[in-house]
Amino acid sequence: MTNPEILNALAGAVIDMDEEAARTAATAAIETGMPAYEAITEGLVKGMQVVGDKYEQQEYFIPEVLLCSDAMIAGLEILQPHLPVDHNAGAEKVVIGVVQGDTHDIGKNLVKIMLEAAGYEVHDLGRNVPLASFVDKAEEVGASIIAMATLMTTTMEGMRTVVEELKSRGMRERTTVMIGGGPISQAFADEIGADLYAADANVAVRKLKNRQVA
Amino acid sequence: MTPKERVLGCLQGTKIDRLPSAPLVLNHCSRVAGVPVSRFNSDAEVMGKAQVAAWKRYGYDIPLMFTTTASVAEAMGTRLFFPEDDAPWVEQPVAEDPANLAKVKVADPWKDGRLPVYLNAAKHVVAEIGEQVFVGCIFAAPFTTASHLRGTEAFIRETYKNPGLVNELLDLSKASALALIDAMADIGVVPVIVDPVASSSLIGPRQFEKFAMPRINDIVARAHARGMPICLHICGISRPIIELMADTGADILSIDRIDMAEVKSLVGHRACLLGNVQPAETMLKGTPASVTAEVKAIIESAGDSPRGLIVSTGCETPFNAPPENIEAVMTATRLYGQR
Ligand code: B12
Repeated sequence: MTNPEILNALAGAVIDMDEEAARTAATAAIETGMPAYEAITEGLVKGMQVVGDKYEQQEYFIPEVLLCSDAMIAGLEILQPHLPVDHNAGAEKVVIGVVQGDTHDIGKNLVKIMLEAAGYEVHDLGRNVPLASFVDKAEEVGASIIAMATLMTTTMEGMRTVVEELKSRGMRERTTVMIGGGPISQAFADEIGADLYAADANVAVRKLKNRQVA
Repeated sequence: MTPKERVLGCLQGTKIDRLPSAPLVLNHCSRVAGVPVSRFNSDAEVMGKAQVAAWKRYGYDIPLMFTTTASVAEAMGTRLFFPEDDAPWVEQPVAEDPANLAKVKVADPWKDGRLPVYLNAAKHVVAEIGEQVFVGCIFAAPFTTASHLRGTEAFIRETYKNPGLVNELLDLSKASALALIDAMADIGVVPVIVDPVASSSLIGPRQFEKFAMPRINDIVARAHARGMPICLHICGISRPIIELMADTGADILSIDRIDMAEVKSLVGHRACLLGNVQPAETMLKGTPASVTAEVKAIIESAGDSPRGLIVSTGCETPFNAPPENIEAVMTATRLYGQR
């Protein structure tokens, strides 16, 4: 296979939810000496971007997106050992979770998948996360981004508490707070002083990438 | 007209005084009774009395019994967590480890989990006000129940990766649902099946048709065989599956985020429609004025739907919504829903 063919095969395997094909194409990439970094960003991740678009257009739904991400991970597992040791040294760290009182976690999981595909190092706290844990974890791992999700109006106020907690620990300036989920809006983000709001997982990645790091 | 005559007239297409109104006032009944949600959903007497009190307070046309979509799964072995004063959630799906599949058992509605709480509460409500109203009992359809037995994300993934397991869990869930339909027929309450996990917010029409729908069809058929109408509620996004929902034969389609004029033209000739004031944006955060405006818009869009319209909320009215907003649904229906 030529390099463009391999890249197409990697992207196609992700789009077709085909783990086996992803492994085969990843192995071919290594065998032809293609840099693993290129195979990931120009192959697997490109495929995942197409998946994101198909999701936005209601051609794919959640199970399909999850299986595409499984195929991406299958390819990554083969490629990752071939990355230069320091490839991810500069990766920004994100702490993500669903705020206390809420157990809807599928949207958050999609955001996590997209962030990882975009090269972030993601620390997932899961769902029904005690509010202080967001700040504790960010401090522990040195994360510059806290991403919070909720789908319920009854729990969204918890996000404000986390922003306040960051302030009181003197971490507000160096932490980007990104929020999302059904009832969340730009207006709510402004109101509680969060930095970013995104309506879906693709936009979340775009906004994070485009933000101006102070 | 009594609420019962009004709802019957609506379903049968005979003359009614005004459109029926049945906002999904569920866990909110605990507010009217002044008890924490966790007491409301674990004691049949408390639940029954709270339901009657809420009906007397608001005067809607169908009281509906409910606390969580996970009640059937609980009766089949899943462990729930009950916050002191909020709706419960799934703590430990019984078949989170598929090795535990054998531990999943078909629910006995009069014995297992909190199903007896609902059924006995429903019996109480029927005894108190059943002359005047139809009492509805809400429970999860098999796809949603099965997702609570296995864990939602694993379950929807396995519609591709392990359809055998999915079908097994669905059939067990269906058996529980059929037993519940029979129990409800015995005490004269109308079943409402809810399938949020089968909505297009999560799965697409293909998976819906393959996995969720065949079981819904069987449940609808059983309700009809027992001489009862049945309501199918799918909250979240439902536009891609609205025609399939009508194909199930459910008498009433309860819908959430969808344009009512469009629903009317697509399926209004096949089922009565129920919806769809926005639960969070309008019922919880809105004012009586915004509720009124939304009810008016819904009636303008679908008040003349061929098989009828029941004015309601798209999903559960958040339990801490202001009472004025629930009253506003009723007042606005009386105002704009005259027939
Ligand atoms: C599936 C579902 C469930 C499943 C959840 C399974 C799971 N493990 O997640 C089950 C059946 C368990 C469930 C339970 C309940 N649910 Co529910 N559920 C839904 C439903 C139908 C779809 C949600 C979903 O997963 N969508 C798909 C995902 C992919 O979309 P998403 O989460 O919005 O995510 C996207 C964006 O929002 C964004 N995003 C998400 N997170 C983040 C985070 C960041 C940082 C960013 C930037 C972006 C972002 O990107 C995502 C992908 O593009 C919605 C209906 C609806 N209208 O949304 C109700 C809904 C969320 N549920 C609701 C309720 C009330 C409940 C219950 C309380 C019901 C009950 N009485 O038992 C319980 C919750 C108990 C609790 N405390 O947690 C209400 C919430 C009302 C409110 N606003 O307060 C809704 C809105 C239904 C309604 N119309 O009333 N539910």
